[in-house]
Amino acid sequence: MNSKSWGLFAAPLGILLLGLGVLFLKQHTNGVFSLPQVAQEFGYLPWLLAAILLAALIQAMLLHSRPQPDAWLFPCAMLLSSVGIVMIARLKPALLVPQIRWLIIGMLVFLAMLRMGNILKKVTQYQYLIGLACIFLLCLPIFLGTEIGGSRNWLLLGPFRVQPSEFGKILLVFFLSAYLSDHRQVLSLPNFRLFFLQLPPLRFIAPLLLIWGIAILMFVVQKDLGAALLFFGIAVLMTYMATGNKSYVFIALLFFGVAAAVSYALFGHVRVRFDIWLNPWQDPGGMAYQVVQSMFSFGSGGVWGTGFAHGHPELIPEVHTDFIFAAVAEELGLIGSLLLMLIYALFFYEGIRIALGCREEGQIFLVAGCDIVFFLQAFIIIAGVTKFLPLTGITLPFVSYGGSSIVSCFILLGVMVSLSRKERNAHG
Amino acid sequence: MPTMALFIKILSVIMEYGMLLWLLYFVSRSVRYIWLDMKKTGKELSDKAKASAGEAMLTVVESGDEEQVGRRFAFSDEIRIGRGPDNDIRIFDSFVSHHHAVVFLRNNLYVIEDLGSRNHTYVNDRQLSGKAYLKAGDLIRIGFLTLKFER
Repeated sequence: MNSKSWGLFAAPLGILLLGLGVLFLKQHTNGVFSLPQVAQEFGYLPWLLAAILLAALIQAMLLHSRPQPDAWLFPCAMLLSSVGIVMIARLKPALLVPQIRWLIIGMLVFLAMLRMGNILKKVTQYQYLIGLACIFLLCLPIFLGTEIGGSRNWLLLGPFRVQPSEFGKILLVFFLSAYLSDHRQVLSLPNFRLFFLQLPPLRFIAPLLLIWGIAILMFVVQKDLGAALLFFGIAVLMTYMATGNKSYVFIALLFFGVAAAVSYALFGHVRVRFDIWLNPWQDPGGMAYQVVQSMFSFGSGGVWGTGFAHGHPELIPEVHTDFIFAAVAEELGLIGSLLLMLIYALFFYEGIRIALGCREEGQIFLVAGCDIVFFLQAFIIIAGVTKFLPLTGITLPFVSYGGSSIVSCFILLGVMVSLSRKERNAHG
Repeated sequence: MPTMALFIKILSVIMEYGMLLWLLYFVSRSVRYIWLDMKKTGKELSDKAKASAGEAMLTVVESGDEEQVGRRFAFSDEIRIGRGPDNDIRIFDSFVSHHHAVVFLRNNLYVIEDLGSRNHTYVNDRQLSGKAYLKAGDLIRIGFLTLKFER
């Protein structure tokens, strides 16, 4: 198993070296290499080496620590990150060094999370405190937020721009897993019936209704459609997972339908999103420009892609964050994008497997909840970029550019890996 | 230098396809790894199902009353522990609640649940909160009584 895991680790390294190599050769198609220019181009090299060394160190630690944690998720995250780095180096070279720097910070946070495995188990006892912290974090941008790129969901902290909802989702998963494992029985015992739905008493589903309400609030005030959808999805999926009661899913869909219809009638930005989803050709040069360019990217990529660094994905606005999947699809083609989606699917499978291996109910929900976050994020943005669903801006986990996104992904990964240690029986 | 340019062109095309091949390599390797793991888990589960056709056993390892040590309680789907008269294992100990804890079978695994007892249930000297899966050899402590779980 050890040698196999190092074999997996070679893939991200290979993609990184080949991708950066292609970009380097593209600068020198005539075969002239002048030293000062080359030195300037390789300015990112120290950062890159540091990141690779840190990643190798973490992988060695994972393989040699006993009890053995899961050794597949980390190489998988590294593969996704390396695809992200290569794409960002190609699309926005100026953002390459910041991205590698965020990746290093993310890995350090991951390392810290692995050390804190025991604290993680205790922290769920303070579930309502976590819930309140989550609400506080989410409401912060309503009062102090700054509007960047059409969404009022950013905080400016000195030189840093932070997206609180990226960290709020982690707290939400913690809160829900503790809450659901405490109240699972009450929630799954039906108390009163409403048509074909079976519901527990109102006071037990109040926290869930509160979360849905906050999601709607984010949707309306902060215009952050992606995060709102993500929060809503996490709450619904985790509740269904814990109780096995389909009534929750029906109520949620009803709630969602009503909320969507009302906001379509009341808010301009929601109407625009929906209309350009139904028919992007009514305004291909204006409102629907981003989606239309993304469709062109998919189309010109075809099955085999245009080849790395030979397409024109840079025509899509914000291609390095939300639309990075369109760039992958154009340059690596159907093959590359399917492989990327397959990796997310395998990631989800592995996460669920880890969750089922946990012994305490709270931990099962925690790991599965983290896994759901990755799955939903990948699904929402890939569906949006391919125009399967109306577009809602959210980052592609590990691949997209963005500090908050990368750090929060590594925190979630850290939770999953540190709870994956198989507790061996002392008596054999 | 046309040959140099051609060489660079060929090299970069090879590298472009190389990226796809690395992706493919990673996915195929992971699928194989997961497939093998699935097969192993499936086999373990079916072995376990065969073995659990029998039943589980709780043995008294330590007790305030020396006579009780070594007593065995065999059960197959559920066993209730407490001070009340309707329990399968009755413990006459003021630290034990009337309905203290229950061990039951779920999906071929035994689960211990604390029924909101005042002085808690300890599994392997760790306080049980809610419920947890039991594995063979686990020590369950209730009041002054320690039970060993075997199956």
